[in-house]
Formats: sequence, structure tokens, C-alpha cells
Amino acid sequence: MNGILNWILWLPIIGMIGVILTPKAKESVIKFVTLLTTSITLILSVLLYLKFDTSTADMQFVVKIPWIEQFHINYFLGIDGITMLMTFLNALLFFICTLSSWTIHKNVKAYFALLLMLQSTVFGVFFSLDFFLFYVYWEVMLLPMFFLIGIWGGENREYAAIKFFLYTFFGSIFMLVGIIALYYATGKGVDSFNILAHQGGKFTELTVNVFGKNFSFEHLFFWFMFLGFAIKVPVFPFHTWLPHAHVQAPTAVSVILAGVLLKMGTYGFLRIAFPIFPMAAVESSTIIAILGLISVIYGAFCAMAQDDVKKLVAYSSVSHMGFVMLGLAAMTTQGMNGAVLQMFNHGTSTAMMFLLIGILYERSHHRWIVKPDGSKGYGGLSTKLPKYTTVFIIGMFASLGLPGLSGFISEALIFLGIYQRFTTITVIAVVGLLIGAAYLLWMFKRMFFGEVNPETEEYEDMNAREVFYMLPLCVAVIVFGIYPSPLLNVMKASVGQLVDLLAKF
Amino acid sequence: MIDQLFGFLSYYVPEIISIVLMTTLLVAEAGVKDENAPRTKIHVYTQLMLGVVLVCLLLNLGAKPVHIFYNAVTIDPFSTLVKIIMTIGTMGAVFLSHSSKDIYSNLKSEFSIMAVGVLIGGMLLASANNMLTLYLGIETLSILSYVLSSFKRDDSTSTEAGMKYALYGGLSAGIALFGISHLYGVLGSIQFVDMVTKLPGIEGVNLGILMISFLMFFVGIGYKISLFPFHMWTPDVYQGSPIPVTSFFAIVPKMAGIASLVRVSFVFVQEGSPLAISWIGLILVIAAMTMTVGNVTAIGQTSVKRLLAFSSIGHVGMMILGVVVMNEAGVQAILFYGIVYLFMTLIAFYITSHLSDMYGTDSYDVFRGLIYKHPVMAIIMASVLFSLAGMPPFSGFIAKFNIFSVIIQKKHYGIALVAAVNSVIALYYYMKLAKTMIFGTPQGEEKVLGFTTLNQTVIIALFIPVIFLGIFWDSAMALAGNATLFIK
Repeated sequence: MNGILNWILWLPIIGMIGVILTPKAKESVIKFVTLLTTSITLILSVLLYLKFDTSTADMQFVVKIPWIEQFHINYFLGIDGITMLMTFLNALLFFICTLSSWTIHKNVKAYFALLLMLQSTVFGVFFSLDFFLFYVYWEVMLLPMFFLIGIWGGENREYAAIKFFLYTFFGSIFMLVGIIALYYATGKGVDSFNILAHQGGKFTELTVNVFGKNFSFEHLFFWFMFLGFAIKVPVFPFHTWLPHAHVQAPTAVSVILAGVLLKMGTYGFLRIAFPIFPMAAVESSTIIAILGLISVIYGAFCAMAQDDVKKLVAYSSVSHMGFVMLGLAAMTTQGMNGAVLQMFNHGTSTAMMFLLIGILYERSHHRWIVKPDGSKGYGGLSTKLPKYTTVFIIGMFASLGLPGLSGFISEALIFLGIYQRFTTITVIAVVGLLIGAAYLLWMFKRMFFGEVNPETEEYEDMNAREVFYMLPLCVAVIVFGIYPSPLLNVMKASVGQLVDLLAKF
Repeated sequence: MIDQLFGFLSYYVPEIISIVLMTTLLVAEAGVKDENAPRTKIHVYTQLMLGVVLVCLLLNLGAKPVHIFYNAVTIDPFSTLVKIIMTIGTMGAVFLSHSSKDIYSNLKSEFSIMAVGVLIGGMLLASANNMLTLYLGIETLSILSYVLSSFKRDDSTSTEAGMKYALYGGLSAGIALFGISHLYGVLGSIQFVDMVTKLPGIEGVNLGILMISFLMFFVGIGYKISLFPFHMWTPDVYQGSPIPVTSFFAIVPKMAGIASLVRVSFVFVQEGSPLAISWIGLILVIAAMTMTVGNVTAIGQTSVKRLLAFSSIGHVGMMILGVVVMNEAGVQAILFYGIVYLFMTLIAFYITSHLSDMYGTDSYDVFRGLIYKHPVMAIIMASVLFSLAGMPPFSGFIAKFNIFSVIIQKKHYGIALVAAVNSVIALYYYMKLAKTMIFGTPQGEEKVLGFTTLNQTVIIALFIPVIFLGIFWDSAMALAGNATLFIK
């Protein structure tokens, strides 16, 4: 079983080579190769879940092969409870995205090749336990994203692609400085690029000198890492790339971006920033909580002001990822569990929203709730598109946190957790939920109720393919809304270990 | 005596072959009857001889360091590796010159003659072990470079480039020589080995003179590798010169200059001495400024040649950070960077050259939509641009990583931050070009004539190390590591 991570990691690359070798004209063959690859990956990740031992916080399915001897760099993979969930989410969303990309007709070959490459690199980020490997995957992931947004995106795609790329690169280059500093801080030993070996607060005593001033090593590099991850999440004020990237990206890429890529930021906090610099993390938790709070409230208000429904959902992601940050800042068992659960649940519910917007866009070729000239973009969709409306309601309510659907559990846990540490922030953050409900319902009202807009008369309801790929997500948000234990059990040990560590500081 | 000299010569085979090549080329060119004949045989001959030089150098890599010609020249793995990089660079430029329209056909073998001459100068510089050899290297390198840059005789920018290069070069060489003569005055010798032994005893006024003369000497080298503030000539010369010449300038003189900077720093600057503090401080500041000026200025460029010129300034700024740390790891990082930089630069210039031959200009527009016409070439060019920006999984990242690694090891966090911000700026302008190539729609359907099967094969072959060294860089690092072995 030990090689299973290798298979999950490299299978998409094998699929990519298959796609590249297929002649350009055979578009359906290309699509089926991709579908086959992503479905095998999905099956493997389910298998991984079944074999996963929930009783331990240790890394499982570990693979460790020396790569660069001189620098003690290893090809070192492994997963724990947190990454198990992310692995499954990634496999699921890529499978769904392949199906939703069936309507792509521009440069099919390149599109699916890049999509598979993206999947592999995302797996790589989640599996890597070696800093160097982690950084390589973290950066390489930008390349397929850059091209996917830049070639298949909307009108302003070039700007969005460049902004996304530069922003993330800016954050990660600081991370690189931090990684190398950690390498030398541990004395170039065998484990000096091993992420796990750094964990546990080993750098609390060190100081560094930058431009003639002394800083605490722990704090300085915590903020370096913070910058890298916060841009990815994105936390206010680093969120400005996100609406552009989302609006311009093709549907499948938006789904992946919101569904898994944003989680890489919060995953970075969980795996790297917090465990390696626990003292700095605890001491900065107020700042993190405040930034999270601003993201929640500000993101929600921004979402309310949008006329473009995709931009609205994009800002709602800022808001919902703010909840994750709040949960992380709480540093309590409930808060952390809630944060990780919210990472998963946001992945499914936002993916639903973006997919649904994509489905609608294929019919209307615009995304305006209110067009720039003031007329209504949609209206009365509920009478014409019953299936679509049903799925939309499920996705929307999961997203705004209706009890019984998945979003509620994770947000409730986050509030439980953060209330123990930051009462005022909790009270204000609850308002964020309210605004969230307001903008989503208001959007729903304007699009689905009221008079039927004559432009929407011709729209067809969801076809079998679309229903098929929305189904697993619907099931996920409903089942995990009622019975979240399968998710909570998996992460319990790993989250518990992190909370215990942070409690010592 | 004679035996000893022959003994020395046995270490000097690569240089001798190069000199033979240069002279035979002169004779061969004189024998060409038709002005515009293609000169394919001469070209093949040049490449073969350079290949022999390369093989000799490769065989020399493992040899122990020796001083020859009574301490005037050092042959050690360090200089040999630098010479290998320069020889490959020369072969690349000569190959490009043969198919480039920028070099008139009646000047094609003259280009080879000059290039081999510059290579000889570079070799002298790389293994110089006394001040005279060093100065001789600089001058041999420079004087032939002036000619090369004004190779397009009827083109005003090219003549301007040659003029500028000669004026700036003459001045800075003069300043360097002035510095060297003061060094001789203070230390009483031009041999590195003798000078070093006298260094610790110098104090008072003499120390002041010594420092100023080192600064003057630095100007000379700084000019050759276009460090800020001596970089002003670079963009104009790069733009005015024909593209094969530009690609040549971006590699051979730079590597030679960096090699001599490394050697001088390691020979004269002992850690902790007053000279070391000011020397390291000087290089730190200059490196930061060079990087920043090079990268920031590159943003606004519309000509790809100028873009590459400014970006090469940025890369040199990055490379000389390896000198700052004053240890083997630093030299190793520089050498690895040099190897990677060689391949990336050659590919970037090859593709730019073929496009500019086709359309008569080197603006961004000629790259527009290249992916639809030549997907493989466009992907390679884009990868090289990302590699130059330091993105994994390409080798440019490893090169950058090594530099970061050595400076952070010595706790120069401040300069690490400057370098970090610079990589972001660099990414921006490289990405702009990549964007034009891949997101743009082409204006016409026509294929680029320069991308013949042979040229594409060469480009692909040069691309293999760019990828390979990004993933399996163990052996190349070991090679660079062995080459740090030199005599102090």
C-alpha cells in the first residue's frame, strides 16, 4: 500500500502524457483519457480513505527516497488526517471538472493536459513532507493555472492571469527565503528540509539581524511564511487578485481555484506556519483573527455589491475563507476542527456554486444579475428551470450555512472555538453570517423569482451530464451536513496534535 | 629550461588549439574567392576545432591545479570549467552566426575569427595569475569585442554601439591599469603569489592607496560584466550589435569577467582584513543596485534584445552575490548559475534571432501567437523565460536557489530580501513576453523560415539541460563543487 501516494501523484502525469500523445483532432478520445485518469485517481483516493488509520496523528503511506544528496533533499511524501480530506476533495473536484469541461472546444488537447498537470501539482503540495519538494510543487502549480486562465479565460484574462501569477509568486519567494533560513537554522543535518523535523517550536530562542536590526527568528519567519500563505488563502488585504482570477477563469478552473487551491493557503498554516513557529503563531493569533474577521465582513459586503454573479461568489469565498482563518486563530480543538471541516465544506459548496454559474453561462453567455445598462440579466428562472433551481437552492443554502447542510456544522464549530478566546470578534463575525445570508438570498430573488425575463425563455434545463456531475456534490453537502463524523474522525488525531502543541505556548 | 617550457605548454593545449584555429581561419578566409560564398566548410572546421578544444578542456577538468609560465597563469578546475562554459558559448554564437542574416555573408568567417579571439582573451582572463596577464586578457577580450559590436558596418546603431563600447571600454581599462600600477607600487610585484604575502604588512597611507587601487581595478572588471553604475553601455551595445554578437557578449566576456572577479576576491581578500570588509560591502551594494537597476529598467523595454540585455545585467547582479560569501559554496553557486545561464541565454537568443531575421525587427510583436505557428519552439521559449525568472521545475530555479542558499547561510537576510523582490520584478517582464507568445493571436499563418530542422534540433538539444538540471542537479552541482578547487 505504500506506493499508493506515488500512484495518485503520478497518475495524472501519465494521463497528461496520454493526452499529449493523442492526435489533436480526436477530441473525444482526449476527453475520455482525462476522464479515465481522474476517475481512477478518485477511486484510489477512496481506497486511501478506507485504508486510512484514524487513530494516529502520524504520517501514513510514507514514501521517502533521497533526491539531492548534497542538500539532504528527499522525495518525501505522506499524509495525515488533514491531507486525507484534501486529497479526496482534490480527486473529487477534478473528476467533476473533467465532466463539466466537456463543452470546451478551444485547444482541447492543451486544456486537458494542463488540467491533469494541475491536479498532479496540487496533490504534490498536499503530499510533500520535504520543504524543497513542497516549494517546487507550490510554484509549478502556478504554470498550468497561468495558462488555463490566460488562454481559456474571459475577456480580461491576460491581466487576471498575470496578477494571479505575480501575487502568488511574490508571497512564495518570501517563503523560499524562510525555507532556506530554516534549513541553516537546523544546522544542515539530514532532516533539514524535512517539514516534520522542524515542527514543535524549536526556534523560539534564535535571533536574526536584518539591515542592522535584531529580530526574533521565530516571528520574522512566521510572517514570511504568513505572507506566502495569506496571499493564497486569500486573507484581507491580499485578496485583490482573487475576484479577477475567478471572473476571468473558465468554470472548471474557478472550481479548482476556489475548491482546492485556496485551501493550500490554510493548509500551509496548519502544516507549516503554526507547527513550526507555534510561539509566534500564538502571539499573533489576535492579528490573524482580526484579519480573518475583516475578510469575513469585508468579503461579504463586497459580495453584496456585485452585479456579476460569479464575482459575487468569488467575494463570498473571501468571506468564507475568513471563517477558516478565524477557526485557525482560535487554536482550540473545536475551532481547528471547524476550520478544517470548513475547508472541505467550502470546497464542495463553492464548487457547486461555480459549476452552476458555469452551466447558466453556457446558456446565457453573460453573468449579470443586473446588466450594466440597468436591465435585469435573469429573472424567473425558477419557473423555467426546475432541476437547475433545486440544485442551486441546495448549493446556496449549503454556502450560507443553513442547519442541516454542511456549511452550518463547520461554521458552528468555528464559532464555538473562537468564542473561547475572542468574544468580541465572535460577536462581530456572526454579523458576517447574516450578511452572507442577505446577499445570497437577494441574488437568488433577483435571478430566480419575479417576472420571467424574455431572454431566458429559451434556456434548457440541466442535461443528464450536468445532473450527473452535480449529484455527488449535492450528496456531499447534505450527508456531511447531517452526519459529519466521517470527516471529523479522519482529522481528529492530526488536529488534536496541533492543538496540543499550540497549547504549550 | 626548454623542457620546462614544453612542460608548461602541455597544460596549455586548449589555448594553443584556439590560437591555431584563429590563425588558420585568417588564412582560410583569405583564400575564399567569391565574396558571398556560404563558407560552410570554414564553419564546420571552426566548430570541429572548437569541439576539440572542448574535449581537451573536459579531459583537463580532473587535473590538479598548477601554476605555469613562472606563475603567470594558473590552470585549475575552476578556470577549466569557466573555459568550458565560454567555449560552448562561442560554439553557440558561431553556429547562430552561420544562419543569421544579421551577419553579412562575407563577414561570417570574420565573425568566427573575432569570436575565437575573444575566447582566447577570456581564457587568459579566467586563468590569469598575475596582474599583467589579467590586463592582457581584459584587453584582448575588449579590443576584439569593439570590432564585433560594429559588425553591421552600414547600420548606424551598430557603429554607434562599437563607438560607445570602445570609448567606455578604453576609459575603464585605463582606470583599471592605473589601479594596477598603484598596486604594483605598494606591493612591489605583479605576481599574485608574491602580492598576497605582502598584503598583511600594509598599513597607514599605503593601505588607503591599496584600497583605492583595488576600487579602480574593480571598475575595470565591473565594466566588463556591466555592473551598476558601469552598465550604461550594455543596452545600446546589445541592441546595436547583430544578434549572434549579442548572444556572444551575454556569455563569454561576462563569464570571463566574473571568473576574474572571483579569483581576485579569493586571492587577495582574506576574511576579517580591512580590505575584506570594504570589498564585501562594495560588492553587496553593487550587486543589489545592479540587480534592481537591470530588472526595473527591463520592464519598460519594447525590444526583446534590449530586454535580454537588461535581464542579463540583473542575472550578473545575482551571480556576484556568490562572491560576497567568500567560500567554496559561493563559487559553486556561481559556477552552477553560469552553466545554467549559458543554456538559457543561448536558447533565448536563438529564437529571438530567427524571428527577427524573419520579420526584420525584434519587438514583442514578432513573438505574438508563436504557439500557433511553432508550438514546440514557443513552449521552449516560454519555459526558458520562466527558467530565467527562477521558476521550478526549470534549472533557473536551482541556480537562484543556490545563490539564496549561500547568502542566507551567511545571514545576509537583507540582500536576500532585495534578491527576492527582484525575482518578482523579473518574473513580470519575462511573463509579459511569454504572454505575448502564448495568449496573443498571430498576425499571419506563415512559418518562420529560420526554424529549420537542424536549428530546431539544436534548440531542443540545448533545452534538455535546462529541464534536466532543474530536476537532477546532483551531478552538475558536484561538478561545480569540484571546480572550486583552486590555488589561493
